[in-house]
Amino acid sequence: MSLLAVSNLTKHYRRGGKTVIAVDDVSFHIEPGETLALAGPSGSGKSTIARLVLRLIEPDAGAIEFEDNDFLALGGAALRARRARLQTVFQDPLAAFNPRATVAHVLDDPLRIHGIASRSERPHRIAALLERVGLAADLAPRAIHEISGGQRQRVAIARAIATKPSLIVLDEAVSALDVSVRGQILDLLLDLQRQERIAYLFISHDLGVVRAVSHRVILLDAGRIAESGDARAVIDAPQSAIGKALVAAAPRLKRTTQDAS
Amino acid sequence: MSALASIRDLTVTYRRDGNAVAALRNISLDIVAGERLAIIGESGSGKSTLALAIAGLLPASSAVAGRIEWSGLGRTPLLGRDIGFVFQDPSASLDPVMTIGKQIAEVARTHLGLTWSQAYAKAKTLLERVRLPDPDSALHAFPHQLSGGQKQRVAIAAAIAAGPKLLIADEATSALDTIVQAEIVALIRRLVAEDGMTLLFISHDIALAAELAERIAVFRHGQLVELGATAQIVDAPTQAYTRTLLDAHIGLDAAPLLNRAGLPA
Repeated sequence: MSLLAVSNLTKHYRRGGKTVIAVDDVSFHIEPGETLALAGPSGSGKSTIARLVLRLIEPDAGAIEFEDNDFLALGGAALRARRARLQTVFQDPLAAFNPRATVAHVLDDPLRIHGIASRSERPHRIAALLERVGLAADLAPRAIHEISGGQRQRVAIARAIATKPSLIVLDEAVSALDVSVRGQILDLLLDLQRQERIAYLFISHDLGVVRAVSHRVILLDAGRIAESGDARAVIDAPQSAIGKALVAAAPRLKRTTQDAS
Repeated sequence: MSALASIRDLTVTYRRDGNAVAALRNISLDIVAGERLAIIGESGSGKSTLALAIAGLLPASSAVAGRIEWSGLGRTPLLGRDIGFVFQDPSASLDPVMTIGKQIAEVARTHLGLTWSQAYAKAKTLLERVRLPDPDSALHAFPHQLSGGQKQRVAIAAAIAAGPKLLIADEATSALDTIVQAEIVALIRRLVAEDGMTLLFISHDIALAAELAERIAVFRHGQLVELGATAQIVDAPTQAYTRTLLDAHIGLDAAPLLNRAGLPA
């Protein structure tokens, strides 16, 4: 069985009296330890799919199986327990966290809520989590708004791995970072994947990054899957119209005359 | 190669929580008339401060030393007339309760001395030039009725309405998706060429800068690290930091970071 199996997922919105189809009959699966990327232009449905998989919103139709459970049927305590295995890192951790909270507080929450460590154990767990994501333990008492963007995203990753998830949804998680920091965060994510066999649903508009870090990719257009397959194979030779447009639009350091024509 | 503007020993200091923070330190560079110059850097590099200083938009609380000489203009520039400025977020730079036509017409009326009806005719022409679909109805539309890319086209139309010598685009495509970004970059390139404008393109993206600019200036921590022709910066940078930025770019030809060994088939 796949770690995550999404079948015929559909989500409509009503906007200004009109029905907008955000996600239209989308099916895919993710295996343990695998990175599946969702890429596409604005409005293609990639973030809506992320929110459906996280059950932040409910679909109009379709099924989601996660760790052999009907994820959409879960509720209450069973859903909360299963959510420990399915975590997320968003683009902007400053928006995701209370800015006045300390780093320790942000990491204490999941350990406490999911009953992972007792009160006396938690400071040690927090120190270990910080070390795991490449941060010094003395960062713990600092406020979230005081630390750098790269450090905040490391804290967001530490929070995500605190509950030992099997799948992390990375929704544009490296898009707002400076390029010099982005590479380090990608290295950290790949290292965690190798060590802990975590799977990623990697949502990005950046095909270069998608190609470098993903096993497989799904290209979305207007809520539908336009093309999918091995990340490098798809991006090196896209077949769909949207795939060709995305590849043509990606900025290149050195554009050959053939590219420019 | 005559300079439109010569920046000499420009230092800009902000006051933050009672401390003085230098956002730019002793910057000297020439903006050549008619060139496309990219200013690139990461957060805190001072690239946006430079754009604001050139446009005369620095907050009153900032302290400025050094000077900017406008020898290619022969007068102190007026924002809107001599300099067009396109910001990252068109939703923030457009008035949400004013029609698109009026926002563009107002620039033409203020700086070109046109009547309202002449200014509206000019606005319609500008909407055609930025390739907004259905310019006639767009004149009467409000910003919220347009997509992000369309709003940025309107912001560009307003920026060039008075025929400025210098167009400054400060991360003008950063909030747009890749496809729309490429369209807006192509639009800026065409408008700059057609009107003989000088372009100052502020970006964090060295690849995007390389696609558009003839020269690139690399900034870091408020200082100018390196300035050169685009081919020299990309192929033969002299500074280690420029090399770091080039190496950090993950293009479509980058080596995979992923170690595929031991992963499921």
